[in-house]
Amino acid sequence: MGGIGTEGEGDVMGSRKSKIVILGIETSCDETSAAVLVNGTDLMSHVISSQIVTHQRYGGVVPEIASREHSLHIQPVVQQALDDAKLGFSDLSAIAVTYGPGLVGSLLVGVSGAKAMAYAAGTPLIGVNHLEGHIYANFLHQQDLEFPFLALLVSGGHTHLILFKAHGKYEVLGRTRDDAAGEALDKVARTLGLGYPGGPQIQKVAKDGDAQAYKFPRAMLERDSLDFSFSGMKSSVLNTLNSARMRGETLHVPDVAASFQQAVVDVLVKKALRALDRTGVKTLLLAGGVAANTLLRETLDAELSARNMRLVYPPPIFCTDNGAMIAITGYYHYLAGDFSPWTLNADPGLNLT
Amino acid sequence: MKYLTIDTTTKVTAVSLADDGCLIAEGFLHTAKTHSERLIPMLDQLLKAASWTLQELEMIGVVRGPGSFTGIRIGIATAQGLALVLKIPLLAVLSLDTLAWAGLGRVEDIVPILDARKNEWYTARYSWAKGQAKAECLTPPQAIPTDVWLEQLKELDRPICFVGDATAKYKVRIQEVLGNRAVIMPEYVSLPRGAYAARAIWQRWQETGVGELVEPFYIRFSEAEVNWAKKEEARRRTEHE
Ligand SMILES: [Zn+2]
Repeated sequence: MGGIGTEGEGDVMGSRKSKIVILGIETSCDETSAAVLVNGTDLMSHVISSQIVTHQRYGGVVPEIASREHSLHIQPVVQQALDDAKLGFSDLSAIAVTYGPGLVGSLLVGVSGAKAMAYAAGTPLIGVNHLEGHIYANFLHQQDLEFPFLALLVSGGHTHLILFKAHGKYEVLGRTRDDAAGEALDKVARTLGLGYPGGPQIQKVAKDGDAQAYKFPRAMLERDSLDFSFSGMKSSVLNTLNSARMRGETLHVPDVAASFQQAVVDVLVKKALRALDRTGVKTLLLAGGVAANTLLRETLDAELSARNMRLVYPPPIFCTDNGAMIAITGYYHYLAGDFSPWTLNADPGLNLT
Repeated sequence: MKYLTIDTTTKVTAVSLADDGCLIAEGFLHTAKTHSERLIPMLDQLLKAASWTLQELEMIGVVRGPGSFTGIRIGIATAQGLALVLKIPLLAVLSLDTLAWAGLGRVEDIVPILDARKNEWYTARYSWAKGQAKAECLTPPQAIPTDVWLEQLKELDRPICFVGDATAKYKVRIQEVLGNRAVIMPEYVSLPRGAYAARAIWQRWQETGVGELVEPFYIRFSEAEVNWAKKEEARRRTEHE
């Protein structure tokens, strides 16, 4: 039956759908997720099947295991998302799926499933860049965002400063030259024996620590560079731990965690402010898993309100990988008539350019 | 009954359209491109060439392994996605069982060998000798070092017909060990074909008559799981002492 797509007299011929219904699918790393979004505003359903517990014993995401989990979960997750939304495939305007960057085996499960579903349902397929997805997660709860804005994307795989001039029109102003911020947090967390995922663990332990206890370097690079470098900072922590161990001293873990977290946040904030200053843009969007970090949010909040600028960040559930951010990115691609061919492939090294 | 089969367990993308066990259309691609790029376009071309619509399909069959881990998942995700939208039953068969159809009617034992890397094969042993509807499985699917398996086959002292994607690479070695007891089928018979899956799936449908929950069949655990299990084992042993 007609359902959501064929409402009202004018649409009886089915010539156009009165509502734009996007199914978003995400399988790039360790979450299998699907969401149904109507008109870019109404999130009808959002299902996330996390593998964090599965990977915990290995101290990080194991690609082959992640792919195996996605393979078992994609179908029930998609079905659940449609059931929760009380919609069927015939109601969909398009299916959007993450095609990169990420783990190739994991991406391929989502891409293959989404392609088959879109082909069988006769709806367009939209390949979504996962990084764009993280940034667009902000539109899920802030539809009034105006261009231009600056985005700081911080996750386990990426650290980017991006200037957005319009939908789909952006310029990367800075990126990490070595480790991503989240990656450095993960590695330090592992060395401190805090486990995986590292970012949230560091934040938890840091609460009881003194952020001034250790002076870890803040890598600012060249005078006007907007790039990042976290590997030197990470090494400095590891050296501190090693030399303490050799001297038979025990370090206060919360102090190390707090000091390192502070160093990472200082760099991120400084570079973001530098970029805002240079571009004259008044709005900063925070995106990616590390965007859920409280110290980062609070520091940026204070700095930006002092400058009469606006800081926007998604609720924590939309900071980690999720299908809703893929659905909303897909929605804007849909409006632009930007669809993917049936030859769409996973692109594990996909970047923002 | 019209149905589709998908086999992406090796480097070959093999698709078929079939009707009551009869092959109607077949797609075979052994090129450098990935399954992900080839699969849906191939299905689209076959349907058009056969003047079939997707909506006419009444069942989908997929080969669920063993073979390439990634290939297995692409095949299953695609088959599941199609079946989910079309609301038709999904069935699965094993790659080795499917390849047994390449030796239909032969008097030798049929031994499919699929490249499992690390000088191992995914393999099994079948026989059509009794003229039955389905090959009899004499040795169940396993991952085994190539030389160990060849020695085991040698001890059987029986004529063996080899099929599978590893035949070309190991032809000389097989003949060294088994001599004239080995019959090695040429690539156009040896590699996975839509025609074989069309038969294997039809046979399965005859047996079950219903769709099933399909999961990959890898045989092997992932390396991380194997290493973790070893470490656990070692830890338990030291705790014991
Ligand atoms: Zn992500």
